[in-house]
Amino acid sequence: MIEKNFLTKTLTDTILSRRSFLKWSAALGGTAALAGGLNFGLKTVEAAAQTAGTEGTWVPVACWHNCGGRCLNVALVKDGVVIRQKTDDTHPDSPDYPQQRGCARGRSQRRQVFGADRIKYPMKRKNWVPGGGQKQLRGIDEWVRISWDEALDIVASEIKRTLDEHGNKAILTGRFTPSQFLNALGGAVMSWGVTSDGAWPLPVFVMGGGLPASFFLPANDRMDMRNSKLLVLWGANPAWSSGGNPAYNLLQNKKAGGTKVIIVDPFYSPTSQVLADEWIPCRPGTDTALLLAIAYYMLENNLHDQAFLDTYTVGFDRDHMPEGADPKENFKDYVLGTYDSIPKTPEWASKICGTSPDVIRNFAQEWATTKPAMLISGAAPARTSRGQQYCQAFLTVGWMTGNIGIPGGGVFERYHNVSSYGGPSLVQPGGSGVNFLPNPLFPTAGAFGGYAFSGAFDTDYYGMAYEEIWDAILNGEFTASVRGKVPCDIRMMYSIFEDSGSNDLNQIADINKGIEAHRKLEFVVSGDIVLSSRSKYADIVLPLTTPWEKAAGGLLTGNPEMLLCYSQVTPPLYEAKDALWVERELCTRLDLDPDEIYPLSLEQQTFNQLAGATVMKSDGSGYEPLLTITADDISAMGIEGKSQKGRISLQEFKEKGVYQVPRSPGDKFTFVAGKAFREDPIANPLPTASGKLEIHCQTLSAIINAFGFMELPPIAKYLPPAEGIEGTFEDFKTGVKGEYPLQLVTIHYLRRSHSVFNNVPQLRRAFPQEFMMNPIDAEARGLKHGDYVLIRSRHGKVVRPVALMDRVTPGVVFLGEGAWVEKDEALNIDFAGATNTLNGSYPTGQGEEPWNTCNVQVEKWTGKIPDLDYKWPQRIPIEEA
Amino acid sequence: MAKQKAFYFDASACTGCKACQVACQDKNDLPPEILWRRVFQYGGGSWLKQGETLVPNNLFTYSLSTACQHCESPVCRDVCPTAAITKRADGIVLIDAEKCIGCRYCQWACPYGAPQFDEETKVMTKCNFCYDLLDQGLNPACVDACVMRCLDFGDLDELRQKYGDLAAIEPLPTDKITLPALVITPHKHAQLSGHGTGQIQNLPEEV
Amino acid sequence: MNVRDWALIAFTILVQMSVGAMWVLRVAHSFATRKYGVEEADRLSDRALLALVPVIALAFVASLFHLGDPLNAYRAVTNLGSSWLSREIFFGVIFAVLAFVFAFLQWRKIGSFILRNVIAWLAELDGLVLVFSMSNVYLLQSQPAWNSWATPISFFATTFLLGALAMGAAFVANYAYLQRKEPGCADTQCTLMREVLRWVAAAAVLLVGVELVVLPMYLATLASGSTTGLASVQLMVGSFGWALALRVVLAFVGAGVLAMFLYQNALSAGHEKMLGNLAYASFVIVLAAEVLGRALFYAAHVRIGI
Repeated sequence: MIEKNFLTKTLTDTILSRRSFLKWSAALGGTAALAGGLNFGLKTVEAAAQTAGTEGTWVPVACWHNCGGRCLNVALVKDGVVIRQKTDDTHPDSPDYPQQRGCARGRSQRRQVFGADRIKYPMKRKNWVPGGGQKQLRGIDEWVRISWDEALDIVASEIKRTLDEHGNKAILTGRFTPSQFLNALGGAVMSWGVTSDGAWPLPVFVMGGGLPASFFLPANDRMDMRNSKLLVLWGANPAWSSGGNPAYNLLQNKKAGGTKVIIVDPFYSPTSQVLADEWIPCRPGTDTALLLAIAYYMLENNLHDQAFLDTYTVGFDRDHMPEGADPKENFKDYVLGTYDSIPKTPEWASKICGTSPDVIRNFAQEWATTKPAMLISGAAPARTSRGQQYCQAFLTVGWMTGNIGIPGGGVFERYHNVSSYGGPSLVQPGGSGVNFLPNPLFPTAGAFGGYAFSGAFDTDYYGMAYEEIWDAILNGEFTASVRGKVPCDIRMMYSIFEDSGSNDLNQIADINKGIEAHRKLEFVVSGDIVLSSRSKYADIVLPLTTPWEKAAGGLLTGNPEMLLCYSQVTPPLYEAKDALWVERELCTRLDLDPDEIYPLSLEQQTFNQLAGATVMKSDGSGYEPLLTITADDISAMGIEGKSQKGRISLQEFKEKGVYQVPRSPGDKFTFVAGKAFREDPIANPLPTASGKLEIHCQTLSAIINAFGFMELPPIAKYLPPAEGIEGTFEDFKTGVKGEYPLQLVTIHYLRRSHSVFNNVPQLRRAFPQEFMMNPIDAEARGLKHGDYVLIRSRHGKVVRPVALMDRVTPGVVFLGEGAWVEKDEALNIDFAGATNTLNGSYPTGQGEEPWNTCNVQVEKWTGKIPDLDYKWPQRIPIEEA
Repeated sequence: MAKQKAFYFDASACTGCKACQVACQDKNDLPPEILWRRVFQYGGGSWLKQGETLVPNNLFTYSLSTACQHCESPVCRDVCPTAAITKRADGIVLIDAEKCIGCRYCQWACPYGAPQFDEETKVMTKCNFCYDLLDQGLNPACVDACVMRCLDFGDLDELRQKYGDLAAIEPLPTDKITLPALVITPHKHAQLSGHGTGQIQNLPEEV
Repeated sequence: MNVRDWALIAFTILVQMSVGAMWVLRVAHSFATRKYGVEEADRLSDRALLALVPVIALAFVASLFHLGDPLNAYRAVTNLGSSWLSREIFFGVIFAVLAFVFAFLQWRKIGSFILRNVIAWLAELDGLVLVFSMSNVYLLQSQPAWNSWATPISFFATTFLLGALAMGAAFVANYAYLQRKEPGCADTQCTLMREVLRWVAAAAVLLVGVELVVLPMYLATLASGSTTGLASVQLMVGSFGWALALRVVLAFVGAGVLAMFLYQNALSAGHEKMLGNLAYASFVIVLAAEVLGRALFYAAHVRIGI
């Protein structure tokens, strides 16, 4: 920012207005001159947009993010420029058949695609040479533009050198499965674990009989939810974490069904404000205690469904244990305190969870007696240290009500893009036809990588949990479940992945450690659309395309009732290329035949998905092809395929951009999960060890224990998590607070889809990444609304503006996850407020990341006050000449 | 005679997601500095000690999405020295950028903060009800964008018949000054303008 | 506070001072004519009148800096039907034109006395309407800090207070000039100057009295009205409290204490140097006080609503 003197500033502020300039230049016929020439902050695209009229073509475009939604996004294109966007208007809107309306993020998509901060050219870090060069400059070095040839040559030669000198085990692809060509060369190190789902996947699978591929217990569908008398949302805030319709669906369901809604959350959230009839505050990481107290109340008042428990579950009491189990390890006796002399009363729980005992009792009464009830958990309470205990408790105490397999009833977790949805998917794409080449270093992981990997007893995988990546790089070893510690020697980090968003450095706990790890490696390569955190700290950055630039177009899934189809709307910007092209080029340089490794073009893959797309028949009896594809369609696409008949034409699908199955109450797609099991548990057993719902689950315990991060009892028990409420005390028993007396929740935040969209100025204005605090805690620290504060944890420090609000529980503070770390190296402070600067790495359970158990301290920031985020300059690594 | 166009807002359904605000910025090509539509979070209450815990006491919060009210008695139009602000027969109030000299008097006068100064063009700018879309029989961008379906528009009289005539809740000012063309369904905890016990919970420079 | 706010402070202060100055000149000129004849009267006031020309010009140039698009400023008079700002500009431009014409004619002694007198009357009456319009600009229902009886009172008080003290200083400067250029008229002009300065001093004391009485009543009323009004008061006595205090002290010293000394020294001859110092000092100090006061006016207003 050039400091102008008073006179210059005055003149440019007033006399030389851009509007006057526009008028004059238009009169002189010089609108084209705006693109170059005088700089009044104009962008070429926006300048052109202002001269556009109302004509143009509407093209459905991708909204491709991991936002917990996925909606229809349509762009108005005129003269090759996207002027503006709209969302779904393909059919009249109604609660039964709602339009797939996008959120603030999707509505500003064009600013991300066409932003001035798109990476335009391949770049090399100035002070990198093979071997690493000045590694300590990663993240703060200058960028030099290089050609694609040079960039690809460097990447290929570094891969070759690393393989020759150190082997496949020296290349790390982070949380993502290695590119196919790497697998062809012998594979690479891939990590495993769970992110958004927290501790849920394994309990769902082994306790509840959920299908492993879906991570979710089967749930009743959206229409059936209207039959519920009670809806409990536990730790779920779909208004922020599931973009698009879920919050709307829930509200409409509530209205249609007259359903009472109770929400448990430390945050009286935006979802709560429109939906909740009652709000139950509960400290993060302590939900288990609250659930145990509910169970106690139910036992005390004989409100549990004993008949249901006897018939459909194992492990509830000593008379119904699974084979081989210790009869003492039954849930009922634990709750009553028969053996540990600690009855899990509401008073006991209140000390831990902070909820008043009266509130707990009233809640328990509702939970137990209002039926049919849908008891639905979000994932946030499971994203805690020892998160499995929460899952065990939620399922167990839910099952005690008997709300299984009945209309309007259920016990399940629902979040992300199935929030407010259930049942099988009604329309889905076909497979791409790609034959996935497995990673020789991790043979059991599929294309989904190591996500929710449950092979704790496997001995043939080589890879560490997400939370151990940085330690593995720095300390040369990782935990390999039953094998214990295994040595490793990581030299290179490879992150060239389609569709952006694989921002490991920013999204794994302990960024400071991550930066240190990055500065130890010999080579870091990243493909990206903007300079996100992992690219900022890389040696080579390759400009990748977004799906808006993808000639082949494609399909996107979201909720189970619809399928999206997007088209290209602009050729690749500047020198951006798609990841497939990059991988093929690397093949050539590594003596691999690209056609052998990647036989299918993107166009062919898209066609396969289109041709294989199926939709449920209107009588609900099975699936039929969705699309009619003619010989003309096929020759126009230039791929191989057969024509076929389906429900709608390919043209119509491409023009509309969406196919959504119309719904109505009581239609053929209304689904009640577990109905068959409920009707006859012997004839229709669940795929669990006992065939029943496992309150005592030895399988879960064995697998978690084998992973080696903690010991998990086979029944739900409350054991203090790391950095839970206990971590805020010097001594929990005496109640003396310690050095980090507040609990931090890292909440999903609407500016971003995780870390994507963080750079869009309009979104930065709308969502300022405020630190949310209760006035009681603020007053104790002399803080006022809008002050800048320093937030410290055991692992790092951030500075943020604070927003005071009574709707956060005292003692609990909130910060949105996903801001791109902006580290002041001298002060060792991150000014962007990346929550992983504050979160420490505590591998837990199945390798999930316990972000919501974190202790912090807060004080007023007395240093230089930064600007609000939207005023920060964009990250433009190489200025135009 | 054309009737007064008005916005309808259902505060009981708004989650403050700002899809409307950002969609408006997209439609009108606005930079981050200018918000023709803004979304506020208003709330209050307290926490009281009950035994060994704190319990929420009269805790309330709700969101409010608001743009220009296209008032029946637009003070901006009355005070503008260059007559740059006019009111159409259908009630839509528009700023003519050609005539505006950026004196910001309308900004002083408007209780809703609707006219905003554009640092690049150096003149005032505000919500124009997407009159260009209305003239084509389409809806304003914010209405079509609303994910909770709590924004609508139409003739003021018809909206009042359907939803009542509430036109002011906190943090909006009283409707008596400029007679906003606005109909609101209140949130269950909504407080009447001038009788608020809460605060705006957004950061000062956010809205 | 930025360029735009300072432009308005400069514009309103300078314009109001000029209006007040023209009235002070009229009164002084009438008095002088009756007592000593029109030539002595002209000798007293003509140079002071001319000095107003660049002041008025500066005021209008300053006002342009308040606009985003000053090249279109001519449009500002097109909404006389409902906009007090339009009316203010309209009457303002007329005031400037009439004042310039009058100053020019008076300087060159072109046209009859009656013609020049009529133009002067028109300028002065228009000036009153101008200050009235100016204060109405701020009577907005959305601005409690401005929407008060105190606004027109303080605008007019500023008009005559600054007008009087500015002309007081001008008369002293005029006398110093005359002493060097026309030694013969010194005695009459000296007496005349002293007589006029006594009126100036008296007016200053009276007007600062009005201001200092109005201020606490205004603050109390504002604080007990709406919460928005209270917020303004909190700014004025809180973060800007130092400025408010300084404004009061300077006004009291300049238009109270010094004005009394000015009056005293003007009672008899022989203190011309002291008179000069006092006249300049009180003008400068009160100008500072008024500028501070006007700055507070623009800095501490809080709009109701969102």
